[in-house]
Amino acid sequence: MFCDEVLDAIEAIAAGELVPDGRVASHLGSCPNCASALAHARTLEQLLQRRTAPRAPAQFTARTLTRVRRARWRNEQFVDTAFNAAIGLVVLSLVGGIWMLLERIGIISVGHEALGLVQGGVLLLAQRVGPTLPLYVGAAALLGCALVVWWWAERAA
Amino acid sequence: MAERPRQPGPDAAGELELIARCRSGDESAFQELVDRYKDFVFALIARTIPDRARAEDLAQEVFLRVHRGLPYFRGEARLTTWLYRIVSNVCVQEHTRAARHPSPPAPSVDGGPGHAAPSAVDRRFDDLELRDRLEKAIAKLPPNYRLLIAAHYLEGVHYETLAEALQVPLGTVKTQLYRAKQQLRRLLEDEIR
Repeated sequence: MFCDEVLDAIEAIAAGELVPDGRVASHLGSCPNCASALAHARTLEQLLQRRTAPRAPAQFTARTLTRVRRARWRNEQFVDTAFNAAIGLVVLSLVGGIWMLLERIGIISVGHEALGLVQGGVLLLAQRVGPTLPLYVGAAALLGCALVVWWWAERAA
Repeated sequence: MAERPRQPGPDAAGELELIARCRSGDESAFQELVDRYKDFVFALIARTIPDRARAEDLAQEVFLRVHRGLPYFRGEARLTTWLYRIVSNVCVQEHTRAARHPSPPAPSVDGGPGHAAPSAVDRRFDDLELRDRLEKAIAKLPPNYRLLIAAHYLEGVHYETLAEALQVPLGTVKTQLYRAKQQLRRLLEDEIR
């Protein structure tokens, strides 16, 4: 029974955190099991104290800072994306709201007629411009070439 | 004398000033913080996780969490206490992950008997096999015991720091440490005769 009590205190004694009193000291002197356990605990204590502690690798700080910067950048990207998505949602909600409001008031039907008028106008324009389109494209290409030559000359100067 | 990374100095005022500079966005201050505490964090993790590459990855993860958490750090506890708590969480999470996805054993950070270039301290170890067995026995301990042993034998880490970090009474830390050593002694009993 007393062995159990002593064995419970062995680690503290081996670490020098507990000084065995007379009763424990005399038991350690007379009980080979407890004395052996104390010897082992002392050896273990020494081994643990002498155990090497690895140091951080040479480039550790640089690598850590890179990782922190990357994480911060990702976080900022996430915040930016979330902000843009929120703005998009607000705009969408506003457009939807205005659309519903206009529909309720009755302006939308007028809007439909106006849209039809614009479509008709665009079609008419395309029909008229269509035959002479190569001419316009050629003129635009010539103008573009002239602008490029002018820009190049200005840059070279 | 064995190589033992010290717990960074007890200059609490300097520590608070450094944290304040980090919080203001001063990157050089954060670099100083990493430089000051990297050996402490790495030694703690590497003594718990034998795979060197993984240990470095987790040590970086600790500083990443520090960077994220700095705005919320009130300075009521020492920075080392906070660091220890983060290391503890990271190691427990790693242990859970490793239990779910077991991988083949990696070479030890401290180096086994076949390690290429033993340090001067290593050479003082007469019995490399015993050291190897010690590492293997430590690896068999539960993760919380492993971390306790790793932290306790880093120079300057006191029971009070551990108790504060683990949010348990001082007596509990001592008891847990004695139990860890008792378990370790039993695992090694045949070798250390």
